[in-house]
Amino acid sequence: MQGFRTRSDKALKWAFIASLSIILLLILVPVFHAIQLSLFQSESFISNKNWVGLANYIRILNDVVFWRSLWVGLVFGLLTIGLQVFLGIIFALFLDRSFPGLPIIRGIVILPYLLPTVVVALAFQWMLDGTLGLLTIWAEQLGFGRPSWFENSYLAMTVVIISSVWTWTPFVTVSFLAALQTIPKSLYESAKVDGAGLWSQFWHVTIPMILPMLMVIILLRSIWMFNKFDIVWLLTKGGPSSATEHLPILAYRRAFLQYDVGGGAAVATLSFLILSVLILIYFYYFPLEDKESSN
Amino acid sequence: MKIKGGVFLFTLVTIALLGIWSFFPIYWMIVSSIRPERDLFKIPTFWPETIDWQFTSYKNLLELTDYPLQFMNSVVVALAVVFITLIISIIIAYVVTRYRVPGKTFIVGSMLYAYMFPPLMLAIPLLSIFATLGLSDSLIAVILAHCTLTIPLGVWMLWGFFKVMPFDLEEAAMVDGCSRAGAFFRVVLPLSLPGMITVSIFSFLLSWTDYVFAFVLITSDSNKTLPVGLASLIGSFDARWGELMAGATLIAIPLFLMFVFLGRYFIKGLAAGAIKG
Repeated sequence: MQGFRTRSDKALKWAFIASLSIILLLILVPVFHAIQLSLFQSESFISNKNWVGLANYIRILNDVVFWRSLWVGLVFGLLTIGLQVFLGIIFALFLDRSFPGLPIIRGIVILPYLLPTVVVALAFQWMLDGTLGLLTIWAEQLGFGRPSWFENSYLAMTVVIISSVWTWTPFVTVSFLAALQTIPKSLYESAKVDGAGLWSQFWHVTIPMILPMLMVIILLRSIWMFNKFDIVWLLTKGGPSSATEHLPILAYRRAFLQYDVGGGAAVATLSFLILSVLILIYFYYFPLEDKESSN
Repeated sequence: MKIKGGVFLFTLVTIALLGIWSFFPIYWMIVSSIRPERDLFKIPTFWPETIDWQFTSYKNLLELTDYPLQFMNSVVVALAVVFITLIISIIIAYVVTRYRVPGKTFIVGSMLYAYMFPPLMLAIPLLSIFATLGLSDSLIAVILAHCTLTIPLGVWMLWGFFKVMPFDLEEAAMVDGCSRAGAFFRVVLPLSLPGMITVSIFSFLLSWTDYVFAFVLITSDSNKTLPVGLASLIGSFDARWGELMAGATLIAIPLFLMFVFLGRYFIKGLAAGAIKG
C-alpha cells in the first residue's frame, strides 16, 4: 500500500481516474436515466416527455398485470432455482469420484452452459416443433397425441423451466464439484468409523461442509433467474396469453410494444428494487472484507 | 463384493444418463444441420440415415442470409469488448490493490453490485441515451453496452487475482532498478496472465452469447450480432430447421473450441463464481 509519488505513479493515477469514470458513467448514468424515464410519460425514446411524477408507479402497482407478472416470475424463479440446485448437487456427487472417462463426461456436462441462449431456445423449439419435432413425435408414439407445447399455459411454462434448468444447472454442478473437493476425506473416514451410512455421511458431513457455497449459489441463481429475459422471450414471448410473462417481459412489452416508455421504466425500476433486496442480503452474508482475509 | 458391484453399475448408469441429458439436444442440433432436407420431414431416426455431404443447410445459410456479415459483427464486437475490458479492469484492479485509494471497498462492491443488475434496467435507458446521441443501431452502442457487464466482472476477478499476488515481487524488481512501470510490465503482467486469460474468456463469452442488449439496441439486419440475427431468421425463414440448426451449430463452434483449448481457465473462473447468467 502506498501513495502516488513518482511520475509513473501520477500517470497511473490519471489512468485510474479515467477508467473509473468511464465505468461509473456507463453504469450510473443508465440507472439514473431509467429512474428518470419512469417519472415521465412518453410514447417512444425520441418523442416528447411529460413529467408525471409517480403516476407511472401508481398505475403499474394498481394494475393486476404487474402482480400477475410478479407471480409468474416467482413461479419460474423458484422452480428453476430449486431444480437447478437439486440436480446440480446430485450431478456433482456422481461426478466427484474417480471413474474411467470421467474428465470427458465432466466436460460434456458443462457444454449446455456455454451455449448462447438463442441456441438453447432454437434447439428446444426444434425438438418441440408441432409436426416434425422429435419430442412431439415421441409423445405421439407414447399415446399422448401431439401436444401443442406453446399453446397450453402449463406446458409452455414447463418448457421454459426445463430448458432453463438444462442450460444453467452446469453452473451449480461445477460450483458444488469445487466445494466437494475441498472436503477432507478424513471427515468421511471418521464418520464411517462411527458407523455412518452413505445417507448419514451426506447429511452430516457433505451438507454442512458445502452450506456456505449452497447459500452463495442460491442467492446468485436467484438474482440471475429473476432477471432472465432472453430464454423466456425467445421461447414463448411471454405467451400463451401472458402465461409466461414475468417482470422483464412486462417491462419490455410496455416500453417497446405498447408505447409506454415510462411504464416500462417503472416496471424495470421496481424489479431492480426487488432485486436489490436480494443483492443486499448477499452483501450482508458475504461481506467483501471477509473475502479479503480468507484469501 | 456384490453390493459394491451394484453401486458401481448404478453410478455408471446415472453418469451415462447425465451425459445423455447434457449432450442430446446438442447432438440433435448438429445432426439436424447435416441431414438432407427430405430426412427432416420424415419420422426422425436417432442416427442420421444419410449425411448431406453437400452441406446444403450451411450453404443456404451462408449464401442466402446476412449470417456471414453478422458473424463478422459478432467477432468485431466481442474482440473490442475483450480489449476495452482488459485495459480498464487491469488499471482499476491494480491501483485498487496497490495504492491507498479512498473508498476502495465501495468501488469493488459497486462493481459486484453492477454485475447483478437486471439487464433491462440498463438496456432500456441505454437505448434512450444512444438514441439521443445518435448512436442507436450501431456496433459501438452494443460494445459499450456489453462493457457494462464485462468491466465489473473483470475488475472483480482481477481484484481477486492482484490481491493475492505478493507485493514483494514488485518491490524486489524495483530495488533491482526497475521503474514501477517496468515492474508492472515485467513482473505483474506476466504473473497475472492466467487471470487475464480468464477475464478475456468470460468477456468474450458474455459478448458473443448476449441476446438482450443487441436485441434492444440494434434494429437493422446489417448491424445485428449473431444471436439476434439467428433469432430473427426464425420468422423470415418460416422455420427452415436445417438452416436454423446450421446457424446454431456455427455460433456454438467457437465456444466449444475455446472450451477444449482453454477449459482449465474456464473451470477456474466458474469455480471463482465468475459469470453472469
